[in-house]
Amino acid sequence: MINLDSFALKNISRGEPAWLSAERNEAFAIFERLPMPSSKEELWRYVNIDFDIGDYLLPVEPGCVEVSPLEGAATLDVVDGLAIGSGTRNPDFTLIPLALDRTEDRNDSTRYSSPGSGHDKFSAAHRAFGTDGASIRVPEGRVVREPLVVRVQSTLPGSISFPRVMIDIGPSAQASVVIRLSSPDLLETVVVPEIDVMLGPAANLDLTVNQVWGDTTTSLGRTRIEADRDANITFAEVGLGGALSRLYLAVDLLGVGSSAKIVGAYFGDEKQVLDYRYFMRHARENTTSEMFLKGAVDDEALSIFTGMIRIEEEAQRTNAFQTNRNLLLSDQASAQSVPNLEILANDVKCGHGSTVGPLDAEQRYYLMSRGLDRDRADQLQLKGFFEDALSRFPVSTELDSVRERVHAKYERTQSADRV
Amino acid sequence: MNAALQLDRFTVSLGDLEILKGVDLTVPFGELHVLMGPNGSGKSTLCHALMGKNGYTSSGSVLVGGTDLAGLGVDQRARAGLFQAFQYPVEIPGVPLDALITEMRSNDEDAFDERVEQMSGRLGMDNFLSRSVNVGLSGGEKKRSEMFQLAVSAPRMAVLDEIDSGLDVDAVREVAELVESLRKPDLGILIITHYSRILRYMRPDRVHVLVDGRIVRSGGSEVAEQLDSDGYEQWRRDNVGRPSALPDDLSGEF
Ligand SMILES: Nc1ncnc2c1ncn2[C@@H]1O[C@H](COP(=O)(O)OP(=O)(O)O)[C@@H](O)[C@H]1O
Ligand SMILES: [Mg+2]
Repeated sequence: MINLDSFALKNISRGEPAWLSAERNEAFAIFERLPMPSSKEELWRYVNIDFDIGDYLLPVEPGCVEVSPLEGAATLDVVDGLAIGSGTRNPDFTLIPLALDRTEDRNDSTRYSSPGSGHDKFSAAHRAFGTDGASIRVPEGRVVREPLVVRVQSTLPGSISFPRVMIDIGPSAQASVVIRLSSPDLLETVVVPEIDVMLGPAANLDLTVNQVWGDTTTSLGRTRIEADRDANITFAEVGLGGALSRLYLAVDLLGVGSSAKIVGAYFGDEKQVLDYRYFMRHARENTTSEMFLKGAVDDEALSIFTGMIRIEEEAQRTNAFQTNRNLLLSDQASAQSVPNLEILANDVKCGHGSTVGPLDAEQRYYLMSRGLDRDRADQLQLKGFFEDALSRFPVSTELDSVRERVHAKYERTQSADRV
Repeated sequence: MNAALQLDRFTVSLGDLEILKGVDLTVPFGELHVLMGPNGSGKSTLCHALMGKNGYTSSGSVLVGGTDLAGLGVDQRARAGLFQAFQYPVEIPGVPLDALITEMRSNDEDAFDERVEQMSGRLGMDNFLSRSVNVGLSGGEKKRSEMFQLAVSAPRMAVLDEIDSGLDVDAVREVAELVESLRKPDLGILIITHYSRILRYMRPDRVHVLVDGRIVRSGGSEVAEQLDSDGYEQWRRDNVGRPSALPDDLSGEF
């Protein structure tokens, strides 16, 4: 593993196309200039970053892990920022290592040019030092039924890695992608995963992110989605793991008639921090967005959801709704829920609902009146609370294991003999 | 022999507010009684206090099938054989009715399953079992779901709070006939209502009138007829000066 410095940059750039080296150099300059984020910045409010990025090292080869292909689904494994194997190519889609598909249409600076895109030291490091990940392309008109699976893992203690998933869905094409983020418990590591989605006209994508990082992993993720005319995206995230897991999501409904459905379910315990910064921008008319996130925090965990809906002047006849509900399962836990609306058009339907509170006493009473003891009543209510979100997930892949984890987490936090 | 429900000088307060001021009421097994009273008279309070809901303090005694409910939690009261059909059943998002039914299944599994099978057919519950409990149901559908849960839990004492409110005439008749059909020798039933119209379709053994936290009259169905012609005012006369009841749409559980 190597330091994040100009020497590393030179090594990485060797043999790469000029546009990519230029991109790296520019990002590196920003990386060097920017300080570590502070909770004084609006975008980092409530979050305390207490480490220095320079203390972590960049892997030059993946750690040793066993990866076995999934039954019936095209899979690519990205370990410590580097793809393993050569992926799948066929007429319907390609799912291949990003390093083998570094073409100029995947140039970050052309894609991330919009102002207020929330770039920071971590994303600059990603652009400077990220070398690999997964590239998914579905050509025009193709329909891929089975989910394409990318398994991102971090396995090296003391490492910082920059896995990237780039997804291009061609005009009128359709696919679903599942991205799983995992690492072992007790492995101290930082991951800066970025997911970049481009939807062509009338393209359809279901994208599910299953975040099950180990308990000492810090993840500072960004996801960007751009939708062309009449394109539809469903983005669903489950957030269960990580010491600190942050997701900055920016969705741009750039094309007339495009739509986004954003679903989320998260559960933090112990001292976990789950940090969601969601930005939904309606640039054109007849666009629709719906955000629906449900989360629970127990022990001393903290969750943050800030949801910004921005509707540009041109975006008439737009519908935008946002719901964020949070359960506080202990006195020490806290949840921040901050909805924001910025509406520049006048013919829009907009709404948001945000709640933070304990399990509902009336539901508990009703369930207990049917003979369930308090524990079972609360368990059922909690299950229902999450099911309300999970039932909106686009693909059922891994949902049962998510349910089990939620349940196990709840059982563990509620058990009296817990230290 | 023990009664299905026996209340002796049952008083209930919410904070400093005394709502029930000493209720004596006995419902023998096999009988169907009706408790009538204007809005705000304390009917729902009686249900919640019987069920042991948090926040209600009560004195006097409550026995269900001879079991003293004093000190028992809500779930223990349910398991002692008390069932309440709620006036305003709460919505439980994400919990399908069949998941709740599964949780309700106790020791007599085979008999329970048979009741579920039989009652879901009879009440046409098939479409509701996979839907979240009470979410998006109409008033009538909620009542039907409550009746279904009552029937499958096979309680010893069932208290049905305003099971007829918000229903059209046909639905009221349907509910009434269903209640009648549930009658059996080892079950006591108490129907709570503020209208007498449901009584057209059932044959109660006794009718009780609750006004301002007290039972002011008990008798046969002639009591309901008298109520129909004269209203509750006749029993209020000696209660002049007490706060009057809430208007219809403001009453209920808070
Ligand atoms: N949670 C509450 N807080 C304060 N007052 C209440 C509450 N619940 C009921 N009450 C009062 O108690 C009285 C009886 O209410 P309730 O039992 O709901 O009447 P009913 O069901 O007969 O219409 C009413 O005067 C009502 O205002
Ligand atoms: Mg009432």
